[in-house]
Amino acid sequence: MSVQYAAISWNRQKKVYDITFLCLLVLYLGTFVGVGAWRNPRETAETLLIRALGTAAFLLLNVVLCIGPLARLDSRFLPLLYNRRHLGVTTFLLGVAHGGFALFQFHALGNVNPLVSLLISNPRYGSVADFPFQALGFFALIILFLMAATSHDFWLRNLSAPVWKRLHMMVYIAYGLLVMHITLGALQSEPSPILSGSLMLAVATVVSLHLAATFREKRIDCAKRKALDDGFVEICAIDRIPEKCATIVSLAGERVAVFRYDGKVSAISNVCQHQNGPLGEGRVIDGCVTCPWHGYQYRPESGAAPPPFKEKIPTFRVKVVGQAVLVHPLPNAPGTYVEPAALEPGKEHT
Amino acid sequence: MAAMFEILAKAFVYGLEVYAGLGFVFALVFVWAGVQSLDSEAQGSGVGFRLLILPGVAAFWPMLLYRWKKHVTEPLVEHNPHRQLSQQ
Repeated sequence: MSVQYAAISWNRQKKVYDITFLCLLVLYLGTFVGVGAWRNPRETAETLLIRALGTAAFLLLNVVLCIGPLARLDSRFLPLLYNRRHLGVTTFLLGVAHGGFALFQFHALGNVNPLVSLLISNPRYGSVADFPFQALGFFALIILFLMAATSHDFWLRNLSAPVWKRLHMMVYIAYGLLVMHITLGALQSEPSPILSGSLMLAVATVVSLHLAATFREKRIDCAKRKALDDGFVEICAIDRIPEKCATIVSLAGERVAVFRYDGKVSAISNVCQHQNGPLGEGRVIDGCVTCPWHGYQYRPESGAAPPPFKEKIPTFRVKVVGQAVLVHPLPNAPGTYVEPAALEPGKEHT
Repeated sequence: MAAMFEILAKAFVYGLEVYAGLGFVFALVFVWAGVQSLDSEAQGSGVGFRLLILPGVAAFWPMLLYRWKKHVTEPLVEHNPHRQLSQQ
């Protein structure tokens, strides 16, 4: 949350995250080049570096793609999500280094524009065996560039969260292009069972985690709820909501987070204004609902971020009858104060 | 067929280079003189922020040029089903 943009909002956790990640990355690149030079002494340093950077970028992209569904399936993975954009930008930088070295080595030494050479030097686009796989990597890199270039919050705000999210969903197109880039390129020139097995395992992991997370969320979205005469909808028994936490239900075409805190119950839209993060998977900290993705905060009774911040989300009327929590599905304007329902068994509170 | 493909490839690459070149020039002007009028949260922001958004400005320059010319002073507010229903 900020009222003025900063280049990078580092804090202690993010610094530890980034330093750990950079150490692992340097270790991987060094190991790959070292082992490669030892096993294939005839390989040039440039070739080994190109492969090390390319495999690191693809491996990292797989990690980035797995973090989202893992965090949705198990909240213990949420700390990985907190700084995922740095991993994404690093994926692009590794990819551009891989592509840049490859472009220089294979296309920059003639009298044709290197990018034109990349696209036309092998025109066998109709062949599987000789497909010009480098073009696939080039188009994947364009997508990764657009994502890395728009990773700052300025873009989230100025493109709006849904447009920004749609743009960043193009990562799956880039992933598909890169899988084909590797399959048609590296696997054809070096048909190694370890390489093909690793690639299949990576793709299977990404796909299965996404399917598992989707099926889990479908259960929430497809649950049928009947409205009572006053329009309120019964959500659950109060003891199903842990203190300072929420239960998530789907109402009015979107998810609603119903929070229990300090003997009260409030309902707000589940969609964080920042990156559409799932507020209902967060907790009430210092009196504010805190988004589990990037820590954006909202007052549970008004859906407004504490001053000086300006974010606001819709709120819902809520009441507790006996042990049952009921929510009215018509959302109030973002930032509208709604009196929380007090928890007094046997009495109706609105 | 191959000649046609070469023409298309050249048109794509040269078009991309012209678009990126124009975008870069626009981005240099925009990050110093325009960004703060388009988004109040950019007022008083530092050099690091402006450099970080520069590649994106070069990529999305037609959209930002349009908003800058139209004197848009705040970003669009997003719409989702809850926000749309709450306005009715």
